[in-house]
Amino acid sequence: MMKIVALAGNPNVGKTTIFNDLTGMRQHVGNWPGVTVEKKEGILEYADEKFLVVDLPGTYSLTAHSVDELVARDFLLKGSADVVVDVVDATALMRNLFLTMEIFEMGLKNIVIALNKMDLAEKKGIEIDARRMESVLGVPVVPLNAKEGIGIDELKRRIYEVANRKAKTDPIMPKYDPAVEREIEHISGALKHTELAEKHNLRWLAIKLLMRDEEVIKLVLRHLGSEKLNEIMRHIGEVEERYKRAMDLIIASQKYEFIDSLMHKFMRYKFEAGETLGDQLDRVLTHPIYGILALFAVFYLVFKFIFAVGMPLQGMLDSAFSSFGQWLAPQIMSDILRGLLVDGVIGGVGAVLSFFPLVFLLFLAMAFLEDVGYMARAAVVMERIMRKFGLPGKSLIPLVLAFGCNVPAVMSTRTLDEEKDRIVTMLINPLIPCSARLSVISFLAGAFFQKNQAFVAVSIYTMSIFLALIMAWFFSKFLVRGESSPFIIELPEYLIPSWKTVLLHSWERSKEFVKKAGTIILTGSIAIWYLSNYPSVMGSGQSYAERIGMFFEPYVRLMGLDWKAAVSLLFGIIAKENVISTYGVLYGSREAIINAMMPLQAYILGLVTTLYIPCIATIGAIRAEAGWKWAFFTMAYMIGLASFMGIVVYHIGIILGF
Amino acid sequence: MNMIVPLNVLKPGEKGMVVNILGGAGARQRLVAMGLTPGATIHVIESHPFGPIILSVSGTRFAIGRGLASKVMVRKL
Repeated sequence: MMKIVALAGNPNVGKTTIFNDLTGMRQHVGNWPGVTVEKKEGILEYADEKFLVVDLPGTYSLTAHSVDELVARDFLLKGSADVVVDVVDATALMRNLFLTMEIFEMGLKNIVIALNKMDLAEKKGIEIDARRMESVLGVPVVPLNAKEGIGIDELKRRIYEVANRKAKTDPIMPKYDPAVEREIEHISGALKHTELAEKHNLRWLAIKLLMRDEEVIKLVLRHLGSEKLNEIMRHIGEVEERYKRAMDLIIASQKYEFIDSLMHKFMRYKFEAGETLGDQLDRVLTHPIYGILALFAVFYLVFKFIFAVGMPLQGMLDSAFSSFGQWLAPQIMSDILRGLLVDGVIGGVGAVLSFFPLVFLLFLAMAFLEDVGYMARAAVVMERIMRKFGLPGKSLIPLVLAFGCNVPAVMSTRTLDEEKDRIVTMLINPLIPCSARLSVISFLAGAFFQKNQAFVAVSIYTMSIFLALIMAWFFSKFLVRGESSPFIIELPEYLIPSWKTVLLHSWERSKEFVKKAGTIILTGSIAIWYLSNYPSVMGSGQSYAERIGMFFEPYVRLMGLDWKAAVSLLFGIIAKENVISTYGVLYGSREAIINAMMPLQAYILGLVTTLYIPCIATIGAIRAEAGWKWAFFTMAYMIGLASFMGIVVYHIGIILGF
Repeated sequence: MNMIVPLNVLKPGEKGMVVNILGGAGARQRLVAMGLTPGATIHVIESHPFGPIILSVSGTRFAIGRGLASKVMVRKL
């Protein structure tokens, strides 16, 4: 069995860069079981030994209050790691060592500290004696500048030594005031005779119980019973009374005092750094007015970049696949096989892969903005706007991207911290009209409303954006449970990102998308091929697709639409631009629609196309990010919403005499 | 005697030492883990009428929502 090396540390400490330095290209991105937290694994080779490196989520502490922290904590607690590499930011030692002390307190012994950003610390006038730090903390300390790869070999060597017991480690334990220590002893004494003593570090359990950690309370309740637990809790209350503070605050501040007393031994300030360029940039980028202007400028560029570079690539891939299909078609004798392969499989695979450039470029842009440090500033500016609709600032990004394509937009909800915010943002995302729906809306507006073209298009856009915000408010208020995050975010130093990190990151994530969303898109495309070719080809009025359309006619009649519209909408599920091209098949030409519909009907068709159901690629993306349950829910509520709006607008239109 | 006030009333340029954090355990422990702990000195960098406050604690900058900031009690320095 390969030994396991776990990477732990605060966010923004360069954990990902170190992970890449250790593992190179041999890595894999997935999810932690049961949660939408990214799990990265890779292989490290040193001195003929292979290690499995696991990148734990970046956290400031190991409480039970967020999914990220729980994932990291459970992994460490289970003792799954043979070596824990604690990545520490040399420019913010005090705060970083807080997590280090929590890891020490778990009773883990095989720990190596990777002291990253030594170059930045020096610039800030911080001098750290790594040798002294090592002897004070009792575990190996390796100074690093991971971006330049400096110190990585030394880190590998120390990991190897600790993993093979060739280096002694004896982590120092934080000491608290006598009053607190007494409680810790009291609790561990009570736990000593339970089964917990075999599997857990009692000091850690005691400290967490003092902090009223929910998970630990449950655990202790099972083993000690409620009477004993109540007695312990009463004790805690008495101590709190004396300190006039919550117990977790007492413990935290004493832990910081302890860290402070250690730090004097190995760190000093050579000089105080004055106002930096970063401070000045922050003043502009987080400003209520200039900040928003900057935000729009940045997102305009991102948008431009993704679609200017991505769209031609998408087109190229698309036509490559269709020419391949055209080349292949005559070579296959069997009608069924030809149809299945050319229209179903190649069409489907083409659809999946043609999204790849967009998704990749999106992840590239996001990773770049994140690593530069801009994302945190953007979140501050957006916070002012989005919070009114029950969403955190960062949720603006997926909503802006949705105007281009909902698939990368749904994928980008990963940048949100809370599960609840991710789900709500995903649910409303398809309500924002993407560029494919723009093509439908603009075709209908152009064909039926020469005079009021722009007004018609804008009214549909306005309605859907408005509905998206209303639904966001509604879902976050009534449907999706979970704590909405109190807003606090670190504004990391501005940095020039490491291209290797950014590219690798985007590549892994987009590969993941193709794997997860791909199967659904492929299946859907084969299904549609079947429906439109059996029992006879579409246009004959006999295909299953047309029969389905006719079956639904009574329903779409409520909105003033006919069976042909129902068929078109069915095909629109594959890709929204199909709504128009299907009419082309049914009427012989696109232009023939103009004679077949009234302007009011065209308006309804545009509106319903925008609202009714996400395209299959978006459904695939939602299911990849949140699971089938939410993917189905999205389809269901959007069909409901589209029907409601369609019926209401149709009847208002009739009353107004259109 | 210096007054104890919630963090959100500090003006840009002012400093305060954290004396207590009110509110739920979740928010409290999050703040503490990020370095906003009793005894820490907070330097307010930016504060506009709406939205988050920008501050610095031992060299690291943070943005914190007004609601959360109102739960951090500081002694003005």
